[in-house]
Amino acid sequence: MVTQNGIKFAVHLITNHFGNLVSKVCENLLKRGPLSLEKLVKFTELTKEQVKNSLLVLVQHNCVQAFTFDEGDDREGAKAITEYVALFDNIIHRLRFPKFLEIVSQELDDECVELLEGLLRDGRLTLKQMVDRASQGKENPVAMDFVQENLRKLLAVRYVERCPDPEPFVSKPVKEETTRKRGAKSAKTDVVPRQTMEQLIMEAAVLGEGIRFSLPSNTESNADGETNADGSPMIIDGTSQAESTLWRANFEEFIRRLRRKALIENVRARLDDGAAVILSAILESTKTAEKKVKMENSVPMSLDTIFTEVMKTEFGRTMTIDRVRASLIQLGCPSRMLEDSYSIDLKNVLELARNEEVESIVLKRYGKDAYRIFRLLSKAGRLLETDKIADSTFVEKKDAPKILSRLWTDNYLHMEKLALSTTKSFLLWKVNNPVLRVHVLDEMYHAALNLSLRMAFEQEKDEELLTIPKDKIVGPIQKRYKRLRNVWLLLGSSLMKLDDALMLFHDF
Amino acid sequence: MSRLPSLKRKQPDSGPSSVALTDHERILYNVIRSKRDMGIWTRDLKRESNLADNVVNKSLKSLEGKKLIKEVVNIQNKGRKHYMAAEFEPSKEITGGDWYSEGILDVDFINIVKDQCLKHIFRQKVATFDGVSEWIRKSGIFKAEITQQQIEEILRALVLDNEITEVKSTGFGEFASVPIGRVCYKCTSKSGHKGEPKAGAMASVPCGVCPRISLCTPDGIISPGTCVYYEKWLDF
Ligand code: SF4
Repeated sequence: MVTQNGIKFAVHLITNHFGNLVSKVCENLLKRGPLSLEKLVKFTELTKEQVKNSLLVLVQHNCVQAFTFDEGDDREGAKAITEYVALFDNIIHRLRFPKFLEIVSQELDDECVELLEGLLRDGRLTLKQMVDRASQGKENPVAMDFVQENLRKLLAVRYVERCPDPEPFVSKPVKEETTRKRGAKSAKTDVVPRQTMEQLIMEAAVLGEGIRFSLPSNTESNADGETNADGSPMIIDGTSQAESTLWRANFEEFIRRLRRKALIENVRARLDDGAAVILSAILESTKTAEKKVKMENSVPMSLDTIFTEVMKTEFGRTMTIDRVRASLIQLGCPSRMLEDSYSIDLKNVLELARNEEVESIVLKRYGKDAYRIFRLLSKAGRLLETDKIADSTFVEKKDAPKILSRLWTDNYLHMEKLALSTTKSFLLWKVNNPVLRVHVLDEMYHAALNLSLRMAFEQEKDEELLTIPKDKIVGPIQKRYKRLRNVWLLLGSSLMKLDDALMLFHDF
Repeated sequence: MSRLPSLKRKQPDSGPSSVALTDHERILYNVIRSKRDMGIWTRDLKRESNLADNVVNKSLKSLEGKKLIKEVVNIQNKGRKHYMAAEFEPSKEITGGDWYSEGILDVDFINIVKDQCLKHIFRQKVATFDGVSEWIRKSGIFKAEITQQQIEEILRALVLDNEITEVKSTGFGEFASVPIGRVCYKCTSKSGHKGEPKAGAMASVPCGVCPRISLCTPDGIISPGTCVYYEKWLDF
């Protein structure tokens, strides 16, 4: 789901971080899909050198991926073409760097945080560059072993990975994907192909599990390619490799981690601590089995295994097996499980959270009656007639059509007219979730962009305040200074909260 | 408000035989009566009976005087005069249903019932439909009769308000007194106070609830820099 305002927001982030030239290149890639260097030069009206340098920056920061494909068919004369594709998700992830760092600071030590900080700041680094970075400003250079040890820790939990293939070969000309099936379900197809195309290229670029999280060694060789007994990544031989291997943060793992957290917190808010503890124990013990980010159901487990896992936590020790079973039922598991394997519908937990977010917009924007109407339609999941809606929601029959039309005009509802005769017709309404979700997400990107723009605006307005030395901040200046600080805090925290919602609708 | 929703039909098959009617009156009466609990609009009546306006008006008066027909409010069209044979009670389509009183939704009454149910559920922590209706029947707080269906409607509306949540009993803890799997209701807010649900991320920022978001652009007339909603929000 890449929407118009999503692209605007992505371009805004790139402009903020890398300036106008780079963002111009990026904008063209986001809007037009993959392009060759020549085409980029043509569309951006920049020099070849400028485009090249911009691409280098974008690749360095994992915002663009190069790939090749054969133009023409299998006959002779097929020419390999290189194109570049913008990685929308990775661009938006830049907003989340503080969250990624927070995770590592909670789970690992300060050195690991520092290492990750470097990777996030510089995009991609070799081990040597990491050592140099760590040594900066220190009297004695930091030992390579030390940095390597931290890198190993980060690799073990997959927060860092080897950079993917810089220019994978994609067997099919990707272009065809974009022009596939237009028409009928245009709202959907407009947004889907871009994502599939990006995925296709990224799938071609990604390295095998074994190598992706493994550390080449210049000390020992372990050529038989086994995982070490303690589960830490195996060491692969390659003295020269160690020098040139590029590393980067593995966004996918961070998103997975944030998704788990969102799942647990949602369950805690809607059910209780017990249910949250159980879900947490299940997700924690099966996290290595998660193959993709958007896992729909948790890995099935027996009641005994779940109980054993729950016991490992402090809160869990207070629970009896009956209590665990009761919570599992609350979490949506059938009360009588065959095979005794419990699996939780994660998709549903997130679906409820998304509904809540949309409903809260409806409540604030259109009022309580509209809220009730919207929830009725959302729960019903099918077309309902105006009068029936008014009856079930205790809304005056003459008011209901007005509210419904407002929601419809703003794309929150879908409407159908049912003509019984030339004079008599009914209006039927429903919530069209797939379309609505895209619309809401687009408005969220717009709101995020506006928050960010307003932050810049406030900063510009009070720029001179930031240059005043601390001891001179008194009297009226102090008042303005305080205001600016409050404004920043509110805008910043709102943006981070909104970003949680962006992830809920886009990444989870 | 008539809190007796059921169709009341006195002597359903007896005609106006005992009362002397003119031919015109008889024609009109038959048309009106044929519409049963739906009644008929005077304009339709004139068209269907094919009688002159003044004749119709005069006859209607006379029929009303003889208590054979009555004027009813039609919620769909409050300005239009509707007539119905006296022996019928207006249908729900005409009155708007149990919660309407003289064509107007009785919001006050609805809110009182809602409030009482909510309080009861909060006190009980967990309540079933049967529990709520039995309590209403026994407590006698409402003078008017409240049907099972009405209680059901109130509970459903409270769920839509997100004041209460429908859950299935786990048979554990607060559900201990309810058989496992039985549908019950719990207050959504832990404090039991009526209140708005927690605003989401989007609803907490001005743009999330802005009616002009589609017109707002970075450098346009409406922009985050010139926005009045932001001005208000950031007024520390
Ligand atoms: S910046 Fe202001 S005008 Fe623009 S969408 Fe947000 S609240 Fe509305």
